[in-house]
Amino acid sequence: GAELGARTAGDRSPECWGLNCISFPCPFFAVYQVFESVAKKYDVMNDSMTLGIHRVWKDILMHKMNPCPGTLLLDVAGGTGDIAFRFINYVRSVRQRQLQRKLKQHQNLSWQEIFESYQKDKFNSLGDSQVVVCDINREMLKVGKQKAQHLGYSEGLSWVLGNAEELPFDDDKFDVYTIAFGIRNVTRIDLALQEAYRVLKPGGRFLCLEFSHVSNPLLSRLYDLYSFQVIPVLGEVIAGDWRSYQYLVESIRQFPPQEELKAMIEDAGFFKVNYDNLNFGIVAIHSGFKL
Amino acid sequence: MVRCQQYPPLRALQASAALRRASDEHRKEPLTSSSQQHFDSPPAGHQPEQEPQGPHPSYTGLGGQESEDYESEEQLQHRILTAALEFVPEHGWTAEAIAEGAKTLGLSVAAAGMFHSDGSELILHFVSECNSKLSKLLEKEQKLVQLGKAEKKPIDEFLRDAVEARLRMLIPYIEKWPQALSVLLLPRNIPSSLNLLTSMIDDIWHYAGDQSTDFNWYTRRAVLTGIYNTTELVMMQDSSPGFEDTWRFLENRVADAMTMSNTASQVQSTGEAVVQGLMGAAVTIKNLAGLNQRR
Repeated sequence: GAELGARTAGDRSPECWGLNCISFPCPFFAVYQVFESVAKKYDVMNDSMTLGIHRVWKDILMHKMNPCPGTLLLDVAGGTGDIAFRFINYVRSVRQRQLQRKLKQHQNLSWQEIFESYQKDKFNSLGDSQVVVCDINREMLKVGKQKAQHLGYSEGLSWVLGNAEELPFDDDKFDVYTIAFGIRNVTRIDLALQEAYRVLKPGGRFLCLEFSHVSNPLLSRLYDLYSFQVIPVLGEVIAGDWRSYQYLVESIRQFPPQEELKAMIEDAGFFKVNYDNLNFGIVAIHSGFKL
Repeated sequence: MVRCQQYPPLRALQASAALRRASDEHRKEPLTSSSQQHFDSPPAGHQPEQEPQGPHPSYTGLGGQESEDYESEEQLQHRILTAALEFVPEHGWTAEAIAEGAKTLGLSVAAAGMFHSDGSELILHFVSECNSKLSKLLEKEQKLVQLGKAEKKPIDEFLRDAVEARLRMLIPYIEKWPQALSVLLLPRNIPSSLNLLTSMIDDIWHYAGDQSTDFNWYTRRAVLTGIYNTTELVMMQDSSPGFEDTWRFLENRVADAMTMSNTASQVQSTGEAVVQGLMGAAVTIKNLAGLNQRR
C-alpha cells in the first residue's frame, strides 16, 4: 500500500490519509457516524468480513488474558459486548473448577456443611469478577445491552458511555484493560494509551487486539485485494453502507504496524510489552503491564 | 527509533507504579535471590553495586541514570514468585498461586499474566532458590572446617548430608512436587531444569573437595545425579514418619557409589597399565622396522 513518510504517531489529520480517503473530512465525527450507522449490523458484518474468524481471535485474546475470579476488567470500545461476554463465561468456568476442587478436599463434611457451602457460593458464581464496557457510541452500547439481555448475562456487567482519550474513571481501578478492534478508531492513540495506564492498578495488564500489518508479500497482496475489492461490496450489500467499510479498510492501512505500536505502548509507561501475530499479521495482540 | 535496551530514559522519569526504588530494597531484609546466582540468566544484581540513594532523586534528565534507582522487571518478577511460593501448597504450581502472590505485594492479580500459565517459571525459581540455599549452607560448613571449628566429614557422609539437606527443602511442597517434576520435564523447560540440576551437583562436588578435571569428573557427576534423582522419586512415594525410608535409601545408594568408585579406580589403573603396554609395544615395533632411527 502507499506508506506515507513523516507521519507522527498520533497524527490522524485528513492530509495524512492519502490513500484515496474520499469518505470523510473529519476523523472524529467520521468515526462516530460510521459506528452509529453500522451498530445494528456490526456483528453480522464482522462475521461476513472475517468469515467468522473474529470469534477465534477474541477467544485467543481471552485465553491470553487467562483471568482469575475477582478480576475487574475494563473493555474499552467494547460496544456490542463480545469481549465482555467471553470474559464472563471464562471466569464462570474457572470459578466452577475452583469450587469443585474445594469440595473435593472437604472429604468428611456433614450434610449441613455441604448445604451451607452450596448456599454461600451460589451467589458468587463469578467470584466477584466484574466487567465494565465503555464505548463512545450510544448506539453500540444499546445493541450490547440488548444482546446481554437476550443471551441472559445479568450480573457482573456494567455499561458506561465514555471516550477512550478521557475515561470517566478514577486512577488505579482496573486489573485488565482491553481494547478490541477499537484503538484504530481513536484519534489520538497516545492519549488513549496514557488513559489506559492511568486507570490500571499497579501490576495491571493492557491488552490490545487490532488489525495489523502483514509482512509476507504474497499474503499481503491477497489481503489487499480482499480488503479493497470485497469488503466495501459486502458493506453495501449487507449493511447498505459502503462508505463506512471503505473507511474501515483505509483505517486499517493507516494504523501503525506492530513494532511501532509496541513502541507507543512502551512510551505510555508499560513494561514487558510484546505482541503476538495471529494469521500472519492480519491481526495482532499487544500486551503490556503497568509495573 | 533507536532504543537503548537497558536504560530507557523516558520511563525512568515517570514514577514507576510498582518497581520499587533500590534504596527501599536495601532497607528491607536482603533478597535471597540477589546473592550468587551463577546459573540464573538475567543479572539480578545491578542492585548491590549502588550506594543507597537519598529520598530525593535527581532528575538531571541526562537519561539512563535514574533507572538504576528502580529495580528491574526481573527483580520484580523474582519478588512476585517468592511471594507466590507460600500459596503453592493450596493452589499448586499454577498461575493462581502467582496471582495470590502478586496480591500480597499490592499488585493486581493480572500481573500473573507476565508468567506462563503452567507455572514453569515458579517452579524453576523455586529450584534455583533451593540450590542457592544449599550453596550457602555448604559454604558455611566449609568455613567452619577451615576455621577448625568442625571436623571434615568423610566423603560419603558429606554427600549424604548434602543431598538430604537439599531434599528436605521440598518437604513443605511435597504434595504438589510430582506435578512440578512433570512440568520440569516439558521439552520447553528441559534446558533450564537440566542446567539447574547439573549446577547443583557440581556445587556439591566442589564443596566435597573435588578439584579434578579428568574423566572421573563426568563419572562422579553422573553418579551423584543418579543418586539425587532416584532418592527424590523415592521421597515422592514415601509415607514413613520423617521420611526415614528415604534417608535409608539414600545411605544405601551412597554406599553403593563408594564401592563402585573403588572398583572404577582399579579399572582405571588397569586401563592405564594396558595403554602403557601398548605404547611400549608400538615403540618396539617401530624400532624393529627401523622407523625410529635418528640420523
